[in-house]
Amino acid sequence: MKLGRSTTGKDLRVRFFWVGGFFVFGIFVLAVNLYRLMVIRHDEFLALSIDNQFKDVRVRAPRGQIRDRRGEVLVDIRPSFDVFITPAFCLKCATEVIPQLADLIGWDEAQKTRVIGAVKAAHGPQRYQPMQVDTDLARDAIDRVNAVVHRLPGVEVDKVPHRNYPAGPALAHVLGYMNEVTQDELTRLNGAVDVQRSPYALGDYIGRRGVERSYEGMLRGKDGWNKQVVDARGKPKEEFPVKEVATPQPGNNVVLTIDARLQAEAERVFPGAAGTIIAVDPRTGYVLAAVSRPSFDPNMLTGRVSAKQLQEMAKDPLQPMVNRVAAQHYSPGSTFKPITLIAGLRSGAYTEHTTAHCTGGFRLGARVWRCHSVHGTVAAVTGLQKSCDTYFYSIANAIGIDAVAAVGREFGLGQPTNFSVAAEVPGVMPDVAYHDRVTPGGYQKGMALNTAIGQGDVDVTPLQLAMMYAALGTGNLYQPQVVDHVETPDGRLIQKTEPKLVRKIDISEDQHRIVIDALSAVVNIGGGTGGRARLKGPMSGILVAGKTGTAQVTRIGDVRLKKEQMDYFERDHAWFAAFAPAEAPEIVVVVLNEHGGHGGSDAAPAASAVFQKFFELKAGDSVAFGPGWSPPPPIKVAAPPPKAVDAGTALAGSPPPPAPAPATAEVPVATPPDTEVR
Amino acid sequence: MQLGAQRRMIVHAPWGVLIASLAVSLIGLYNLMSAARSMWTSQAIYLGVGIAVLVAVTLVDLRFIQSAAVPIYLLNIGLLLLLKLVGTRAKGAESWLVLGPFRVQPAEFMKIGMVLMMAKYFHDDDRPAAPSYGFLRLLPPLVLAIVPTLIVLVQPDLGTALMMTFTALTLIAFARVKWTVVVAAGVVGLLGAGVIWNDFARPVPEGEKRVTLIRHHMKKHQEGRITGWLEPESDLKGTNYHSMQSKIAVGSGGFAGKGWKEGTQTALRYLPEQHTDFIFSVWAEEHGFLSCLLLLLLYGVILVGSLGVAYQSRDRFGAFVAVGIAAMIFWQVFENIGMVTGLLPVTGITLPLMSYGGSSMVSVMLGLGLLANISMRRHLF
Repeated sequence: MKLGRSTTGKDLRVRFFWVGGFFVFGIFVLAVNLYRLMVIRHDEFLALSIDNQFKDVRVRAPRGQIRDRRGEVLVDIRPSFDVFITPAFCLKCATEVIPQLADLIGWDEAQKTRVIGAVKAAHGPQRYQPMQVDTDLARDAIDRVNAVVHRLPGVEVDKVPHRNYPAGPALAHVLGYMNEVTQDELTRLNGAVDVQRSPYALGDYIGRRGVERSYEGMLRGKDGWNKQVVDARGKPKEEFPVKEVATPQPGNNVVLTIDARLQAEAERVFPGAAGTIIAVDPRTGYVLAAVSRPSFDPNMLTGRVSAKQLQEMAKDPLQPMVNRVAAQHYSPGSTFKPITLIAGLRSGAYTEHTTAHCTGGFRLGARVWRCHSVHGTVAAVTGLQKSCDTYFYSIANAIGIDAVAAVGREFGLGQPTNFSVAAEVPGVMPDVAYHDRVTPGGYQKGMALNTAIGQGDVDVTPLQLAMMYAALGTGNLYQPQVVDHVETPDGRLIQKTEPKLVRKIDISEDQHRIVIDALSAVVNIGGGTGGRARLKGPMSGILVAGKTGTAQVTRIGDVRLKKEQMDYFERDHAWFAAFAPAEAPEIVVVVLNEHGGHGGSDAAPAASAVFQKFFELKAGDSVAFGPGWSPPPPIKVAAPPPKAVDAGTALAGSPPPPAPAPATAEVPVATPPDTEVR
Repeated sequence: MQLGAQRRMIVHAPWGVLIASLAVSLIGLYNLMSAARSMWTSQAIYLGVGIAVLVAVTLVDLRFIQSAAVPIYLLNIGLLLLLKLVGTRAKGAESWLVLGPFRVQPAEFMKIGMVLMMAKYFHDDDRPAAPSYGFLRLLPPLVLAIVPTLIVLVQPDLGTALMMTFTALTLIAFARVKWTVVVAAGVVGLLGAGVIWNDFARPVPEGEKRVTLIRHHMKKHQEGRITGWLEPESDLKGTNYHSMQSKIAVGSGGFAGKGWKEGTQTALRYLPEQHTDFIFSVWAEEHGFLSCLLLLLLYGVILVGSLGVAYQSRDRFGAFVAVGIAAMIFWQVFENIGMVTGLLPVTGITLPLMSYGGSSMVSVMLGLGLLANISMRRHLF
């Protein structure tokens, strides 16, 4: 291969120095410029680096309120004064700042070590994020901290909007609660939206359960954005002008169908440790009150709950987080019997006057199905009034389980009610096919008998039972709903919930009358099991129609034990389901007292109190200018005797009355209505 | 080859350059641990690959490389053209060729291909009787430089194209040009400055539209960078954001720096691309002025050492390759640190051996391997 000259030549050699000199000069220029930036102008750039940056600062939009049907605020926001520490700026944090802060606020030793641990654990960019170390400071603690906050580097007291549930645990399962959005939700919710101004940010709260969750999109406003000078911690500097880029849009208010006054009364009268009271308007399906016990405090669960408290709640045998209104099902016991009765009437095998003879049980094959008493001869109305099991055994035996199940399903049992704001279970309405599928050995005739009295495999949620009784009363099955409408903060209607009719029940007028008569007899005729639900005093004219239920939880042994002799979890569930007024129902109430004992004694009185309150409120809310109003009669005043006046005063208009004259004229105006009332 | 010759090759390796390069690379890794946290492990792998490439290149006979200069040059141009067809876009430029799990930037390797090609031209065109290059004789090397530069420019990768232009000009200047060429270059330079002054800086009376010559052909971001460079205190949230944040990072570092992993500009992520193009700002912010001087000193050692290799080379091809590689490294260091400190407009140029990135690391190591190769084989000529 041909190579060039084996030396590079003298001509090139000189130029190496030119090139080398040029390179060294270049590097020298860089060094001089670095000196200029890093040494001469150091202070200026250091100030810039710790002080001022332009940033998009989020301006939180206030979340909407949740109100009851009359406008009473059930959920709103209140300011909470929280303490934050930014670890990177907190010098001598563990040794001086935190102990000082602990004295000012009054932390105990455990809280102090927890905060020190949290501050020490922060690393990397986390150290520049303000960290919440205490919430809801008392007014005097705020003052104490603020007085010396300049001596506590990296410590800030900030006003943070906090969700407020004035009713505490009442209605908590319907309202829901909130907590911090998770990383997964962030990526899902923000999705393809502009990352710089995402709708949700880390640390934001999001609705969990109930209305807070299902109406998240309505309640949550749209955060605004300011372009603002912030320091290196991302904290806005007040002294620079703020440029608003996007105005925050407050969230909408959700108005519920709940009547807070009725809810409060239901909460007050609930008799047991666990269970539910539901009040529904049977004409619309709107829920008026929904108690689920035990409950939780959403104020606590919304960012104020410790791991220990969560653990305790999870271990609680009564399971406070379970919404007993719809997310739990139970044997309905005797409250199911109207279904069996209608099935019997519909089959044609039974009429109103078909009788059965109760000798304390019903024999089918070799086994005797027990009745709780000896009722003698009973027919439709007396059978339901006395809750005679034998009567319903005989119906089921005659028409079979499928005929009963068909009516049950028509009344909405065994399927979700589509109560959208809370999770629910569908319940069980067993038939032959169900037992063949589920029960070992398949369907046996005796299962129809158990189903007929609401035992065996039939399970309902209290909400299903309420909608069923609404349908018994009106002949219409509605979908239960708890949100009446959504409106903007200034009261403009956005979305109105219309009643949703699921189906008209296929029931003849005669059959309907028999059922209402029977349910009415349960409460209003001596010997009925629901006598304690009767209304008293001025309301006694309003007839309540309903049915008690005492659902067995465990097999009855040879000896029937008293309530007090059994373990709590083996005691019977007490049910009462009713509507009023019987002839034109305006309200349905279902009471379930878990392991409470007898429906008649341990559930019916609570229902009675709710009815009582409902009709009292109705009377109080009655329209002022209704049919009962008559205007007070006008008072005639005799014209004064004509007087001689000179032309000047006559021209001036009315005769000048002496000053006290109008006062004396007013007195009789106030008195006549009084006398009329008497 | 005999053992003696091999020992002589080891002795003749440019140890100063190699040690300084290794030192810069290790500083780069340490710096990346702070700037990008998880990326330094990948960078360590790139460094390992780079060193392997360097060693491999030293094993190839220089004469073979010289004879392969044309195919290497054409292959690189072919790869660049291939990029137009199957390239992957990243940050608005079609710069990436995806080969299985690897993503390669062919432009990084084009620089070396161009240096080899031009060195071969100057070697073959050696005329001791007429050492200076006039306009006509400069035509072939200019074409050799302009073709790949244009392809890179339309990618668009303005930064790399500029680097190739400056490297080529350095090589041409080194090859000795006639004074007429120098004058012509001076005139062109003045005209260019005049155009920029007319398009960007000339005071225009209120209401009158500026008559521009090239400005309206530029892309928005390129235009912004020139205005930003000319008026460094304007539009700090927009076009000058990078430059200003970078200057704040460097300037706030001061004499002693804020300490490793303590840089607020880094931690608060005020600077995007901090692990690649703006890596120097992390070093400056966290380690201060003296450490910056140390880094400049190490680059100085690499550059002067490279010129030493060229000086000692008894072969014209070797000398030109060594100068070309030194020029390539110099211009990248100069432009990168110049842009980080606000002296020059922002262009996407990596800092050799410091910036995160495999292609950049391997191409620089390839260049250093060529240098070592030249140095180690100087006794052969």
